[in-house]
Amino acid sequence: MAEVVFTDVDKFYENGVHAVQDLNLEIRDGEFLVLVGPSGCGKTTALRMVAGLEEISGGTMSIGGRVVNKLSPKERDVAMVFQNYALYPHLSVADNIAFGLRLRKEPRKMIEERVAWAAKMLDLTPYLARRPKELSGGQRQRVAMGRAIVRQPQAFLMDEPLSNLDAKLRVQMRADISKLQRDLGTTTIYVTHDQVEAMTMGDRVAVMSAGLLQQVDTPQRLYDQPANLFVAGFIGTPPMNLIEADISFDGLAVTISIGAQTLTVVDAGLKRYPRLRAAGGRRVVIGLRAGDLHLADHRPELPSVTARLELVEALGSESIAYFRIDAMAIRPEGLDEEVDDELLGEGVTAARPNLVVSIPAESAYGLRLDTDVRLAVDTAKLHAFDPATGEPLR
Amino acid sequence: MTTHEQAFERAEPQAVERRGLHRPSLSGDWWRHLIALAACFIAVFPVLYVASAAFNADQSLGGTNLIPRSLSLENFRELLSPDPAKSQLQSSTSHYLRWLGNSLIVALTTSVLTVLLGALAAYAFSRFRFRGRRLGLLSLLLIQMFPQLLALVAIYLILLRTGDVFPFMGLDTRTGLILVYLGGVMGVNTWLLKGFFDTIPSELDESARVDGATPAQVFWGVVLPLALPILSVIGILSFVGTFNEYVLASALLQSNENFTLPLGLRGYIDKQYTEHWGPFAAGVLLAGVPIMVIFMSLQRFIVSGLTQGSVKG
Repeated sequence: MAEVVFTDVDKFYENGVHAVQDLNLEIRDGEFLVLVGPSGCGKTTALRMVAGLEEISGGTMSIGGRVVNKLSPKERDVAMVFQNYALYPHLSVADNIAFGLRLRKEPRKMIEERVAWAAKMLDLTPYLARRPKELSGGQRQRVAMGRAIVRQPQAFLMDEPLSNLDAKLRVQMRADISKLQRDLGTTTIYVTHDQVEAMTMGDRVAVMSAGLLQQVDTPQRLYDQPANLFVAGFIGTPPMNLIEADISFDGLAVTISIGAQTLTVVDAGLKRYPRLRAAGGRRVVIGLRAGDLHLADHRPELPSVTARLELVEALGSESIAYFRIDAMAIRPEGLDEEVDDELLGEGVTAARPNLVVSIPAESAYGLRLDTDVRLAVDTAKLHAFDPATGEPLR
Repeated sequence: MTTHEQAFERAEPQAVERRGLHRPSLSGDWWRHLIALAACFIAVFPVLYVASAAFNADQSLGGTNLIPRSLSLENFRELLSPDPAKSQLQSSTSHYLRWLGNSLIVALTTSVLTVLLGALAAYAFSRFRFRGRRLGLLSLLLIQMFPQLLALVAIYLILLRTGDVFPFMGLDTRTGLILVYLGGVMGVNTWLLKGFFDTIPSELDESARVDGATPAQVFWGVVLPLALPILSVIGILSFVGTFNEYVLASALLQSNENFTLPLGLRGYIDKQYTEHWGPFAAGVLLAGVPIMVIFMSLQRFIVSGLTQGSVKG
């Protein structure tokens, strides 16, 4: 068990790509830290540098107080779970799990005990004699986990271990891995591009984009206080509505103009984003979570705006309603190219709804598509960012 | 197991049944059988002919029918225990067993070393990034474009001179011949193996390295076992190729006791009026046995799908 510390870590690839830039990150002993970000953001590179599979171009990396920059993977005493599991197809499940211990020339009796322990822990005991190809995806994933835990290493490194599983199994394995990690208390670095996984599993979550660490914090604080526009747009399902708005400040109240419609920000909102006052006369990016927008009849005390309803998705307990409002929607850089690439490329309509609202399922019945709906805005909970720098106006 | 796989498994028995219902009728498919029979006949005919000649007491080739008039083991007896007094070979005594031994030694050594050296080179080319990697691969390919026969004279001279310094690997030695064979096929095999190694996910190597394996342990413990199918194919091809090779051997081997089988057997039929087709056919027939044995023993490794299940669901 040990802490893992990145100090000013840089990674340049031979083709000149600066994959990880000046990374400073401390993963505490026993902590479950999730590295999350769109593909190509450098998170996997960072993880592979911990494992010793990528050279570190600059800075220092230490595991358990020991600088490991020049150590081989073998000497670092970490275990890694790969996205495609990387099981040895010619070995049985038991031999796969025992592989690392055999290489370390551990006594046979100890190997047998440990393998039995790991198999019991992961419910693999009936499958020990099988080959990987005779296992289902979930079982293979568990064998990969078994290979990691059996060595009782200083840290677990997991590179998108759930992304090859189907959705239902993924949810279950998510909980299983979290519990396993808590039981073992081993420092864990978990890489994923799925922000739901990040939010549900991590003690803390580190958000990366374009090789830069954007924010490290607990999931709740990432959600409540995003450090910049990127984190705001990346964390949360459905994603935060980010729209351009003009600010005016008359000395008393701050007013937001979305298109031709105006809203007054309540004091609670100003308290969280005090620099909104200083932004008077400028154009900023306003962030509104889908849950902080309501149908106007439900919250008559809140200021409201009008938007056209374009689509409703019923999820059972709640519905997601997509509106179009007369304003520019903003997509943070990085997200634009990576995550939404498919969406942008494969969209069937040119004009996409730019305001997502989650409403109680029973109220959704009263709504009719292609009509204007009054939406109440909880301005106490809005977010505001500088459009040029992406900095929050806190 | 994903639902997809389950669906697939459920579907399979039905497919088998359906296939059973549509049994092909002989009336519609007679021409397929005709072609197949013709192909079989063409493939088997030479073997039958040689077998017939081997068991025929008659010595001449022209008098041989497909079904010999009288069966005898005389040809084999003469081949295996040449009695100089009784032998019909005047010029050279038969060394059949010795030639067979030579051929086996040369072919086995060549195929084992080919596989081993080829795998080592291919692994380096496939997994390591080093200066000259691209150039090395390209020159291997380029050199391979020229048949080894082109270099026959040069090879002869090299061995001649080498023999002055290291007599054990000069002209007319098995070691020398093995070295020449090894050089000849290295390029192709390295390329073949590299192509196969490239399909083995590098995560397997990386996983083994994180588990604590040295590069050598990764090679022997993970990559080689997975490459067994292609290794055995290359081993067999190289064995058969070397076992049958005539031209290079004829140029480099000179003394009767160092001959490989093709060279030795040639001695039975290369004189105009003293052709001994009977012993020759018997020798050829016997020479087929080791190849059969090798094929049979390696057959079980030539299975596809050995890497199935290593990655993904």
